[in-house]
Amino acid sequence: MQTRSIKTKELSALLDQLRAAGVEIIAPARAPGVGRAVVYRRVSGFSDIIMGVQPRGTLKEHFLPASERILGWRRGGAHLELLEASTDCAPRIVLGAFPCDAAALEVVDAVMGWDYRDEFWFNRRQATIVVSIACDGGDESCFCHAVGLSPGSTRGADLMFVPVDGGFQVEVTTGRGQAWLEEHQEYFSEAGDSTQAVAFQERATTRSSQRPRPHMESIGRWLKNNFQHDYWDQLALRCHGCGACTMVCPTCHCFDLVDEPEGPEGGSRRRNWDTCQAATFTLHASGHNPRPGQGARYRQRILHKFSIYPARFHELLCTGCGRCSRVCSSGMDMLELLGEIHDMASITEPTTSPEARNEP
Amino acid sequence: MNIYQPTLMRIESVCDETPDTRTLRLVFKDPAMAERFSFKAGQFGEYSVLGHGESTLCIASSPTRTGYIECTFKKVGKLTSALHQLGPDDLIGFRGPYGNHFPLDKMHGANLLFIAGGIGLAPVRCVIWNVLDQRDRFGNISILYGARSVSDLVYKKELAQWAGMPHLRLWQTVDPGGETADWTGLVGFVPTVLQQVAPSSDDTFAVICGPPIMIRFTLPVLQSLGFPPERIYTTLENRMKCGLGKCGRCNIGSVYVCKDGPVFNAAQLQDLPPDM
Repeated sequence: MQTRSIKTKELSALLDQLRAAGVEIIAPARAPGVGRAVVYRRVSGFSDIIMGVQPRGTLKEHFLPASERILGWRRGGAHLELLEASTDCAPRIVLGAFPCDAAALEVVDAVMGWDYRDEFWFNRRQATIVVSIACDGGDESCFCHAVGLSPGSTRGADLMFVPVDGGFQVEVTTGRGQAWLEEHQEYFSEAGDSTQAVAFQERATTRSSQRPRPHMESIGRWLKNNFQHDYWDQLALRCHGCGACTMVCPTCHCFDLVDEPEGPEGGSRRRNWDTCQAATFTLHASGHNPRPGQGARYRQRILHKFSIYPARFHELLCTGCGRCSRVCSSGMDMLELLGEIHDMASITEPTTSPEARNEP
Repeated sequence: MNIYQPTLMRIESVCDETPDTRTLRLVFKDPAMAERFSFKAGQFGEYSVLGHGESTLCIASSPTRTGYIECTFKKVGKLTSALHQLGPDDLIGFRGPYGNHFPLDKMHGANLLFIAGGIGLAPVRCVIWNVLDQRDRFGNISILYGARSVSDLVYKKELAQWAGMPHLRLWQTVDPGGETADWTGLVGFVPTVLQQVAPSSDDTFAVICGPPIMIRFTLPVLQSLGFPPERIYTTLENRMKCGLGKCGRCNIGSVYVCKDGPVFNAAQLQDLPPDM
């Protein structure tokens, strides 16, 4: 695939042109209101975009909204009519996806397309060009390198921008990305000297790879064999089950379906994000709960990511973005927990040394 | 049409099985949908009362009886309470059929033992009628059905029909204390009664459904009677929302009850982690 470059001024002009053509632009930008946190949101132009700060919310909410209408109904006397919800999506571009967030989209594709195709998800996927910007290596909570990704990973992105002086080096990673670039080629220049881009990527990789690297295969095996283990009870003493980790996770996709009456004549069925950390998640109407305690519920989160999803879809349900660790009010750090599991696995698997996880 | 879109079904008739358990006979409002629809014994659906939500229930009628489906439910939660308010000609939403089914092809020529407790007879009844409607394809049929009390027995009319059928053995039992003065059936818990009547396991498949505690104590009895785990089938329930393998709540380990199940044999159950 091609390598090109784009100057900041040209990128700004390109975004203006896209917006004029009716393309929705989603990018990291400050949210309005209290806190003004950086989130992925619809922006009006280049000047809104904040680069180099990992957004607090993930990109998933633009593909699987926190709450969306999936059905409507209208009633009148004995008459009842179901109103189909539209799954259409207008053309969009994400500019400045973090590589961990772009990769998450492709990871979640697997379950959304499993036998029954979720058109809400895939119509948004198809309508959206994803441009990621290479990450500078992240912070102490990041662990993309441990789950098979890197600050420069292009997974899930149609194009990858690498910051250089005055603009970006552009790597095209998909056929769709190539077609899009050709459509707008007047804004792009020849790739030129790649020294700066290479140096940026090397710096990022060095920073990220200095952090521990637990061995995911042996963790997977340990999880398979230790469904019942004191470790889960210990975690339950720390986790208070708020579920914030699942809300900020780019790969958590569990949802609830809820009817919301809107007056006596009609209403909407909505799909809302849900969390496996809530007791009601699995509670039967009879009162029986297969996961009655927090230990069982935290175990489910770890298992879903590092055992169940790999067993069913051959990949980890985690891109190492580190948001779960940053947001946890009781300081549970995913990289630390994976390290603990790695260490327990190393007792049963002597080939996995406890030291190995700290070797870059 | 997106995968979460239900279709409308009209309640054709209502049958009160017990004071809190009811069977609805449902027909598709759209004749084209009625024409197109088919299912296999053991599959389930998502039934909705618009404004109250959706719930997962098995299809309790047999696929050999076409033109309608039936669901049997106990009034316990939000959706079933709303469903219980409805009557003939009311409309509900339906999605399905979902999940796998009982392997009736594999059971051809063999004897069948059905064991059910309480409302657990609903999915078993679907298989029983399927088998009775294709009677010559199967060997001997035995049914052991238990409920907490006489008034908790569901499908009473059908139990009477089965009791009168040739080449069909039916044992009915109620828990100790649940019998009435005129009760002519057995008294005792299902696992105990199973041990007493000790049906033969020769060339026999067992199909079992009931409360978790009944299943837990019945499986060892079946094994002591010589049923290999591969010949004991049951249907699991777990809380579900989508029924399509997306919403992520029915997992037992890496098994999705909605897609890998709801029908499992006892050998498969043994391999599941204790997350039930």
